[in-house]
Amino acid sequence: MNLFRSEEHVELWLAGRPPGATVPVTTLCDLAHAWWSDRLAPDWQPHTREQNQAILNRLGLTGPFWRL
Amino acid sequence: MDDRDLDLRNLTYRLFVELGRAPSADDVAEAAALTRAEVAEGWRRLHDAHALVLEPRTSEIRMANPFSAVPTAYRVEAAGRSWYGNCAWDAFGICAALHVDGRVQTACPDCGEPIGIEVRDERPDDESLLFHCLVPAAHWWDDIVFT
Repeated sequence: MNLFRSEEHVELWLAGRPPGATVPVTTLCDLAHAWWSDRLAPDWQPHTREQNQAILNRLGLTGPFWRL
Repeated sequence: MDDRDLDLRNLTYRLFVELGRAPSADDVAEAAALTRAEVAEGWRRLHDAHALVLEPRTSEIRMANPFSAVPTAYRVEAAGRSWYGNCAWDAFGICAALHVDGRVQTACPDCGEPIGIEVRDERPDDESLLFHCLVPAAHWWDDIVFT
């Protein structure tokens, strides 16, 4: 799970391997805040698979690749 | 996850932030008035529940996601300390978990060019960058360190 300067750099790094999923850093930042913002809360409870899938769906991260 | 393990998990995370590093089993045992063995057994259950990740050989903490116990390619300056994220996602996650602005420092895995991103009000200051996730979501926990 890495950050790249551009799509070209992703492709060069893959060196022919099948690609995963590429998303804008803005989506990643939104995902991080939705996923981790409760992590230090005193009343933290584990996320269910359904809760996590809903976060992905809300950000448009849908389809077989993003299915937990 | 029962209340006992939830308390152990929350204490472990709290100590990680207070100490600025992963707490040892001894650190947590002292803070929780438990034996080291009780902490180790609880951590193993939390590891199995994907609530944290242990080092395979030492059974000390490797990840308390989004925090990494070991240096990585994703350094984060936030809340007056330096942290390491386990990956790009976790690097932003550290700012999210601490509810602060911060700076993520890494390098493009292809060319090695340094990348620095300021996170202000939950937004990155450079919106041109791309995040690539190689492993499909259903397989993230097959080998979480590789993921």
